[in-house]
Amino acid sequence: MARIFALPDVGEGLTEAEILRWHVEPGDTVTLNQIIVEIETAKAAVELPSPYEGVVNELLVEPGVTVAVGTPLIQIDTGDAAVEPDVASSIGEEGPGGRITTLVGYGPRTTTMTRRPRKPVAAPATGDRGSVPLAKPPVRKLAKELGIDLSMVLGSGTGGVITREDVQRAAAAVPAGNGAGSGVRVAPTVPGIAGQRRVPVRGVRKATAAAVVSSAFTAPHVTMFLTVDVTAMMQLRTRLVGQPAFREVKLTPLTFAARALCLAVRRTPEVNASWDESTSEIVYFDYVHLGIAAATPRGLVVPKIRNAERMSLRELAVALDELAVAAREGHTAPADMLGGTITITNIGVFGIDTGTPILNPGESAILALGAIRERPWVVDGAVVPRQICQLALSVDHRVVDGAQGSQFLTDIGALLSDPALALTF
Amino acid sequence: MTGTSGPQTITLAKGLNQGLRAAMEADPKVIVMGEDIGKLGGVFRITDGLQKDFGEQRVLDTPLGEAGIIGTAVGLALRGYRPVCEIQFDGFVYPAFDQMVTQLARFHYRSQGKLRMPVVVRVPYGGGIGAVEHHSESPESYFAHAPGLKVVSCANAVDAYWMIQQAISCDDPVIFLEPKRRYWEKALLDVEMAPPPLFSSRLVRGGTTVTMVAYGPMVRTVLEAATVAEQDGQQLEVIDLRTLSPLDLAPVFESVRRTGRLICVSEAPGEASLVGDLAARVSQECFYSLEAPVLRVTGFDTPYPPAKCEEDYLPDLDRILDAVDRVLAY
Repeated sequence: MARIFALPDVGEGLTEAEILRWHVEPGDTVTLNQIIVEIETAKAAVELPSPYEGVVNELLVEPGVTVAVGTPLIQIDTGDAAVEPDVASSIGEEGPGGRITTLVGYGPRTTTMTRRPRKPVAAPATGDRGSVPLAKPPVRKLAKELGIDLSMVLGSGTGGVITREDVQRAAAAVPAGNGAGSGVRVAPTVPGIAGQRRVPVRGVRKATAAAVVSSAFTAPHVTMFLTVDVTAMMQLRTRLVGQPAFREVKLTPLTFAARALCLAVRRTPEVNASWDESTSEIVYFDYVHLGIAAATPRGLVVPKIRNAERMSLRELAVALDELAVAAREGHTAPADMLGGTITITNIGVFGIDTGTPILNPGESAILALGAIRERPWVVDGAVVPRQICQLALSVDHRVVDGAQGSQFLTDIGALLSDPALALTF
Repeated sequence: MTGTSGPQTITLAKGLNQGLRAAMEADPKVIVMGEDIGKLGGVFRITDGLQKDFGEQRVLDTPLGEAGIIGTAVGLALRGYRPVCEIQFDGFVYPAFDQMVTQLARFHYRSQGKLRMPVVVRVPYGGGIGAVEHHSESPESYFAHAPGLKVVSCANAVDAYWMIQQAISCDDPVIFLEPKRRYWEKALLDVEMAPPPLFSSRLVRGGTTVTMVAYGPMVRTVLEAATVAEQDGQQLEVIDLRTLSPLDLAPVFESVRRTGRLICVSEAPGEASLVGDLAARVSQECFYSLEAPVLRVTGFDTPYPPAKCEEDYLPDLDRILDAVDRVLAY
């Protein structure tokens, strides 16, 4: 850039000076503070240093001429940027440094075509589990088409995201006879011996058989029993049934047992867990997907109530009823039978007192609810008639120790015999 | 275009200049007005030579008052003219905002279709030229949000030449956004080739992995990113929106249904922006095709920074390619 050095006031309010002699001429290189000119003021002859470094372009005043303070004396090219006065005529043309000259701004710069070293890509944020299953939209669509409930599928992607492969694997695992839309096929009769009837094993029966065999011979079962006085629970039931909120709701002993189980799980999370042989891990669930064993014309099915731990007594009652209706009518979707975390089997409805239930494969506990009968019971030293029920709990002994199983069963028993205890859970 | 024949290589600025010239030759009702656009030919020389050739009656130097420029144009339009207003810099459009959204945008609606507003408002916009405050803004979302205004942005010299003429012949007000950092970029213009419609998006680079949507100054940046991504084996598909209001999203939907991934790139701050709306619409229309959330690469939610910081503010190759990595990680 060309810079102008004008005559300064060299002191005490002088207004003019005469140029005596130039020490440089055009083309000379000058350094900072190099003496470039001698001037004479009213007081003295003075040498002036250059405030700039560069090359002299032009001397603007001849020696012998007297000029006022502020008059340009010399133009020095400091070489650091374009000469300004010519900007307007070169708009849009390439200037020094390859930049386009503009009236405003430095002008656009050329951009690079190389990439800086790459940062590792962070895994997509996935949030906490237990709410909506994590899967991207095309995978959701696929799951819907295959009739797979995503909350039943364990995600193998980063952060537990369910992948396309997970859904396909889950779809392949659904027993063929249970496939939505496959319909119920009439078993063809096989010719055989008189007095005998052979029915091919398929569908629900086949699935049930596979499940109980795999469970009975892989998970070491321990079953414990508890007999409880459920009179208070039955009284509570009678009271609630009369209330508007429970009108049109089927409030059964099973509902209370389901609620008690959900509360008791909080104290003994081991029962709501799964033994994972493939990874040598125990998977603990923060949610309760409660399986309800149901007898249907097609056989035993165990549909699930999702997130039962979040449900109120009334919500559980509604869910149980819906589930029972669907099971009875054979409308239970295959996906609804997958991914339970714990199960109740209500053998009491058949008038049975108790039994030794077999675990649903992959689960660690199953509760059998026996029939409720009026029996003699000792209360405060006297024998009185009370409503009595037997509970049986089978656990996978690999996951659940005797102490934990006992605590869980005792908690359920306590809640059913004294429902007010629920306040303390 | 008088006296020229065959394809010629011209800058975006020259494309606009020739387009304006062609429009003025074709229709004597077209008049051009703005600050310093006559004798000086405009700060960016877009109107260079027009006053000399068409006279001071058709190429008007206005006072420094943007509201007055638009207000005058509204009056002229009502009297049958087709005014083309230049707002000298994006940051100076705000004094005219009132006239634009309360009058210009509404006459057609207010008069139940009896009155048309064939006004073009040219705005050099966007950053990247190292300018001072108020000279690097991206105000497109304000105008796209206002019913009654059409908003377009050209990204290259060929579009500049055609789109300015199409905008002038449009009977509705068109906010014509010119990417000022791209004014001096050249392209081959063949005036024999018919242009696509004004309000249409265009596929400018075919690809398979990710759909990239940009407009105006960012189209070039995204194309550069696509070139670099190709070395990594990623085929980015690039769509130049061209029209910001109305949006022409059919090509975008079609593309996203193939690629399953979308990245929108814009210089403007991302909050409550045009690309945000784009993301919402694509999420709605292509929900089951999306393999990843729609990502936006935008300017930051701050005022445009001082010139020395703008390289960090403007979306560049690296920020775009980082977004590509992120959508591919899903």
